[in-house]
Amino acid sequence: MLGKLKAGEKGRIMNISGADKFVRRRLLDLGIAEGSEVCVKCILPFGGPVMIESCGQCIGIRRKEALRIEVERA
Amino acid sequence: MMNIALIGNPNTGKTSLFNNLTGSYEYVGNWSGVTVEKKVGVFKNGEDQLIDLPGVYTLNPLSKDEGVVTNFFLNEPFEKLLNILDASQLRRNLHLTLQLMEYGAPVIIGLNMLDVAKNRGIQIDIGKLSEALGVTVAPVVARSGKGCDELAELVTGDFVGMGKTNLVYYGKAIEDGILRLANMLDGRVKLPIRWLALQLFEGNSYVKDYLVKYVAIEEIESLILSVADSHFQLSGDKQTLEQVIYRKRSETIDKIVAASASRKDNKKVPLTEKVDMIVTNKFLGIPIFLLMMYFMFMLTFDWLGFPLSDALDAFLSGPVTAGITAALAAAGSSQFINDLILDGIIAGVGGVLVFVPQIFILFFFISLLEDSGYMARVALVMDRLMEAVGLNGKAFIPMMIGFGCNVPGIMAARTIETPKERLMTILLTPLMSCSARLPVYALFVGAFFIQHKALVVLSLYVLGVVVALILAKVFSKTLLKGETSLFVIELPPYRMPQARALWRSTWDKGKGFVKKAGTFIFAGSVLIWLLAYAGPEGANISMDDSYLAALGGIFAPLFAPIGFGTWQASASLFTGFLAKESIISTMNIIYYVPDEASLQGLMAVHYTPLAAYSFMVFILLYIPCLATTATIYKETGSKRWTAFSIGYALLIAYLLSLAIYQGGKLFGLS
Repeated sequence: MLGKLKAGEKGRIMNISGADKFVRRRLLDLGIAEGSEVCVKCILPFGGPVMIESCGQCIGIRRKEALRIEVERA
Repeated sequence: MMNIALIGNPNTGKTSLFNNLTGSYEYVGNWSGVTVEKKVGVFKNGEDQLIDLPGVYTLNPLSKDEGVVTNFFLNEPFEKLLNILDASQLRRNLHLTLQLMEYGAPVIIGLNMLDVAKNRGIQIDIGKLSEALGVTVAPVVARSGKGCDELAELVTGDFVGMGKTNLVYYGKAIEDGILRLANMLDGRVKLPIRWLALQLFEGNSYVKDYLVKYVAIEEIESLILSVADSHFQLSGDKQTLEQVIYRKRSETIDKIVAASASRKDNKKVPLTEKVDMIVTNKFLGIPIFLLMMYFMFMLTFDWLGFPLSDALDAFLSGPVTAGITAALAAAGSSQFINDLILDGIIAGVGGVLVFVPQIFILFFFISLLEDSGYMARVALVMDRLMEAVGLNGKAFIPMMIGFGCNVPGIMAARTIETPKERLMTILLTPLMSCSARLPVYALFVGAFFIQHKALVVLSLYVLGVVVALILAKVFSKTLLKGETSLFVIELPPYRMPQARALWRSTWDKGKGFVKKAGTFIFAGSVLIWLLAYAGPEGANISMDDSYLAALGGIFAPLFAPIGFGTWQASASLFTGFLAKESIISTMNIIYYVPDEASLQGLMAVHYTPLAAYSFMVFILLYIPCLATTATIYKETGSKRWTAFSIGYALLIAYLLSLAIYQGGKLFGLS
């Protein structure tokens, strides 16, 4: 799961269908879908959002959504 | 004259390009969706108009902000499109471009951020890109303006091509569906059918609502279902039409990118990521944000703003007043005119103008935060806290803008996707202490809290935020239950703020304040002075017998329990509804003083420090000003919510001031 990666770790998105419909659509708008490589840049404290990088752009999403996106560690 | 629409993804430099093409003073920012309104500028050729649309990733909208763009394509006339692309994010940007080409209007592409792409090892062959799309592509550097003149010439010129309207083949099922929709509409719609059909199949609700005007909704829905079904029959894949359309576009884009861009690996860590490691750090993120806020307030109120305002005050009450007095004497004007100008207008308008330096410093910092890209990080850092009260991190941006002025703050709430969170943000943004409230604080802290000026003012700003957060929690548990909160935010790369853009942005925000002083405050000052000058017993009487005193006196007893039961205070609170800074003009007129310093001296007689703090808290919260109320009405479209925003604010302000004043007295403060 993307939410399980530590800061600095990389992965490839395997399945995104568990995430909320809206989040999925927005990630798709940003060009992030199954097959995209992502890197966790930082994790904010107290269960706060995670900042991920994919194809050179940075995006913030909530931890609980990140926990619903399957990734394969790279 | 031609109407040309400027369209592109968020954070592609669209607003900078708009400024450079039109040469107008325009608002430049960097957080997702800074362009909340439709803005129109005139090209430097003095003829054609450029319409700035909000940044969108696709024409199928998620937020109200994005809906503005879809509505524009459905309902507004325009001749050409100018599509700005971020070269470093070509793939994602082209999704929008393909939809524009399906629309079939003449389009020119401005390719921005080639330097960023180059730093990331991406080389783009502009000729090949142009050939693949079938439209003209011109390189620009939107921030510096390089290439903008050539682009302006191209786009206002006579020969602008349409591009290839069917670059993407969507498969037999969808292509047949397009034809079927064309048959159903039977030439009754002027808009391009292919575009309408594809947007409809993608689930664009705006397009669906548009089509329902021509075809029965059952027919439309059964068309969508049968296209989805026939796609499944023909291909056997279970993807939704939305996914299929996205995938087909992606495949075409891959081909275009493969033909026109090449990439070398570049292992260098970009500066943006290094900065982000610090400012969004687990432990340092929030402290850094608070430290920056503290620094901003110290500069605005203490280190820089205060001495500047003092100097301006001395100038206005000294040479300027002396000059006007002399001019009036030379013109031989009557005593009435003399009093009106010196005690009414100069006291009223001058009292507000004195704060121009502080307000500009504050606006400068807000512009700096937006323009550098830090604002989006603030949203990220604050999201956890905002989530706890039922909002999301994006709601923090309208609130920050609200520190400058509540009106643009409330409009900025349009970028929030969920209706509930948007409504809450609109209702709570007026609690953010806007710059017009600042003169009131500046006056009172100068009179009572000279040792701790910035801290006392900061406490008021913090109080506004804390009250807003508590109310958000209360509202989301009671009035606005349900609907989950969502948060996805793009964090644009940091950009070195440019002096010119910063100045434009600061001036654009601050000029309203100066303008208001010359119009609203001017007229208000005349009115207040007249009300104070005349009374039931005639003109030129003692002010305690004036209409103003009588009017204020009615409500004064109400304010006695919270520490300021004088007619002067309640009269100024009335004018404060029109514009918060007119509280100061009213006081200047009522207390009949030539400058800020002597007004502060007088205040010490009429207020205790505790009453002064209670008064400031009341001013902070008690009512959104007239312009803000009008904006709330416009944005919510509901009289009920507008009335609610006034009602709850009055109640909270009264209760808090009561707690502070009576509580303070219990603890022996005065």
